[in-house]
Parts: sequence; structure tokens; C-alpha cells
Amino acid sequence: MRASVRKYTGFLGLDEEEPLFIISLTSMEPPPLEDTEVIQRIINKDKDALYLLYDKYSGALFGVILRICQNQVLAEDVLQETFVKIWEKMGSYNPDKGRFYTWAYRIAKNTALNAVRKSDKLIQNEDLGVLKDKSTTESEVDLQKLNGAISRLEPHHQEAISLVYFRGYTHREANEEMGVPLGTFKSYIRQALQLLRESYKIGIVLFWWVTEVIG
Amino acid sequence: MMDKDYIVKEGLLEKYLLDELDTDETKAVERAISEHADLRQKLQQLEADFERMAFENAINPPSHVKDSLKVQMEGTKIKQLPTHWLWTAASLTILFMLTTFWMYTKWQATKKELNSLQNQSVELEERLDLLEENYELTNNRLQLINNPSTIPFVLKGNEKIPNSRAVAYVNHDDRLVVVNPKGLPELPSHQTYQMWSDVDGEMINMGLLPTDKDLVTLKYIDRAESLNITIEPAGGNDHPTVEQLISYVTL
Repeated sequence: MRASVRKYTGFLGLDEEEPLFIISLTSMEPPPLEDTEVIQRIINKDKDALYLLYDKYSGALFGVILRICQNQVLAEDVLQETFVKIWEKMGSYNPDKGRFYTWAYRIAKNTALNAVRKSDKLIQNEDLGVLKDKSTTESEVDLQKLNGAISRLEPHHQEAISLVYFRGYTHREANEEMGVPLGTFKSYIRQALQLLRESYKIGIVLFWWVTEVIG
Repeated sequence: MMDKDYIVKEGLLEKYLLDELDTDETKAVERAISEHADLRQKLQQLEADFERMAFENAINPPSHVKDSLKVQMEGTKIKQLPTHWLWTAASLTILFMLTTFWMYTKWQATKKELNSLQNQSVELEERLDLLEENYELTNNRLQLINNPSTIPFVLKGNEKIPNSRAVAYVNHDDRLVVVNPKGLPELPSHQTYQMWSDVDGEMINMGLLPTDKDLVTLKYIDRAESLNITIEPAGGNDHPTVEQLISYVTL
């Protein structure tokens, strides 16, 4: 835990002066440093390490995959395929270029988009309505509704983030979907991210306040 | 060359993170990140925010997905089994087969050997029995011959069979007569030697003397005065043919 403290200064920004905030944060989010060990084990073809990584990240990745696929069965296949790709490509992951989750997210997103394209073609060619039908009946989770800090943002900010991050839209596709100019869409994204960061900062301060004053 | 402000203003960091950039743009952004610490820090911030948002919106997949992944992973393991393991396995199999064959041959040979040894052992046992029997017989005869109360008599051949002889051993205590006929010449198959005791002028049959035996046990006759050998037709005679007397000895 302590070893991860330095990593998180990046998240908070170097202008942050209160190191106590950082420590409280580490208990809220999994520290990324232990990943490096697990990742090395995967490179050395240790399958148990992959299952550890699965336990940690499958939920977050499945949240993205299911929202892109809009179909439970297809999404499950994509999730499995994603982890097989992670296993096979782990040697090409470079920690200097970014966090593991970002790398895995890209694999998940691309795998999901390809799967959706393939299944759409199938439906067009062979008139199989099965996949589409299932999406509306089976999913118990409301995929439109987002949780956490983003759910407290204004609807247009939520939608902008949701489209590019959780639905796999490009900026260009997303601004057409929302019916606003690309420039406007970009500023939605920028504002949304800014608000998100503020909200996380406040969360941390509150958390620190609660633990310091009450505890 | 992309400038730092342009990257920030155009939201290229966000696009980089979302994998929306083409190869050239990606390279340019990566170069800018490695050159500008504040840009790098901004990206790290974005990454952390994105990751946190993803965890807040996580959906737990059903447990069978992990099971299915494990099954697939076990499958890939078999597929990716390094060839040198296969070679090792193949070599071990051949080695095992050769060893098994060798052991089988060895076993068969041992079985054969055991059989022959068992046969030999039975044969030896039989021979031992025979030898014991022979020994007992020889021992009995030796004891008889060496007995102090046994008297040996030499029966020399007359002019009909010169330079030949038989030896009779007589034991009056045990009432036994044993004759060694080896010194007599062989007869044609229609003739045989026969021995007689003279009791008060009467010749009493003691038995035949086949020359192919070392010792022949004959009937002991009480009050015998002499022992006589004649040549008789094969199978023996009731009365001695006196003309054919070839030897006699007085007791």
C-alpha cells in the first residue's frame, strides 16, 4: 500500500500539498504497483496471475463491453476473448505509455466493436433477430443509467462521456448522435472531465475529513 | 510537429486514451508526452479518472465466464506445449517400450531355463533313486561277501571251457548262495548255465546262471556235498545233463 503512494500524486496533481489525502485514496482504489508483479507473472505464462487480473478488472471491463454490445451473451464472449488477448499480448504492454487498465480497456473496446459489427452483419444477412431481442429482455442492469461521480453531472455531460467512453463511439460519431457541432461536443467532454476531477477531489477531501475528524 | 497547447485544446489526450488516433497522431502525442512532464501528468490524471469512473460503473460478469476462460486457457496450454516436451515424451515412450520388450524376452528366457532346470531336477532325482537302489544292492552283496562266515569257492572250468571260472559265496549261517558268473564264456542264446547241489548222490536244481549279471543269488540247499555247473537248453532243465558238466567244487 505505502509503495503506491508516489504513483497517486499524478492522479491528484503535483499542486496538491496534503499527502494525507493520498493515503486515504489508496484504500479506496486498488494500487497499480502490485499490477506490475502480476503482469510480469503473466509474461512468464503464469495462468493464475491472469485469473488474479480477471478478478480485479473483469467488472470494470464488462461494464464497458456490455454497454457497447447491448447483449449479455455477446458481451460474455467478448469479455473472455479480451482476457485471452491480454494473455497473448501482455508482452507488448509498455507501462511507460500508460496504466494497465487503459491498455486493457482499448483491447476490450476494439474486441467489442468488432463483435458488434460481425453480429450486425449476421442479422442483416440471415435475418436473425435473436441477438437484438435478447438485449432488451435479458439485461437486468439498466445500461443507460450510470453510477458514481458521472451520474451527478448534467445530462449532456453524462451523455457525451457515456457515448465515447462506455458506448465505443468516436468523437465524430458521438457529436452526430447528440446533434451538436464537433467543437461543442469537445467542450462537453472537456467540461465533463473537469467536473469529474473536481468531484473526485471533493470526495477525497470529504473522505479525509470524515476519517480525521470522526476517527 | 504537434505543439503542447494544440494537443490539450483539441482533446487529443482524450482521443489518445480512447484509441481514436491514427498511427501518426499517436506517435506525435507519445513524443509530446515524453518531452513534457506536465502533459504526461495530465494524461496520468485522465487515465486515473477514467479508470475510477469505470470501476464506479463496473458490472460483475457471471461466474461461468471465468470458468469458460479457464477451460480455454487449459486448452491453449496443450496447444502451446513446447516441442521438446513432446520429444521427451516420445523418447520416454520408446525407451519404455524397449525396456518392456527386453524384460519380456528376459522373462521368457528365464521361464524356459526354469522349465529345463525343473526337468533336470526330476531326472537327477530319478537317477539318485536308481543309484540308491543300486548302492543298497551292492552294499548288501558286499556285506554278504565280506561276512566272516561266508566261504568263497572257485569253480574252475574243465577241458570244455578251459581258463574260465565262476566264484560261489556260501553262507551256511544265513543259508545264502551267491555266484559271480562273469568268468564264464558267453553261451549261444539257446543254451544256459545251470547250477546243481549234490546231496547223497542226487543232483538238486539251484537255479540258472545268466552270464550278463555280476552276482546271481541261488537257492541254498541243505547238506550239499558239492556244487556243479552244467550247460543246459535255454530255460533250464529238470535233470542235469552230465555230459555237459563243465565245473564242480566240493564243499
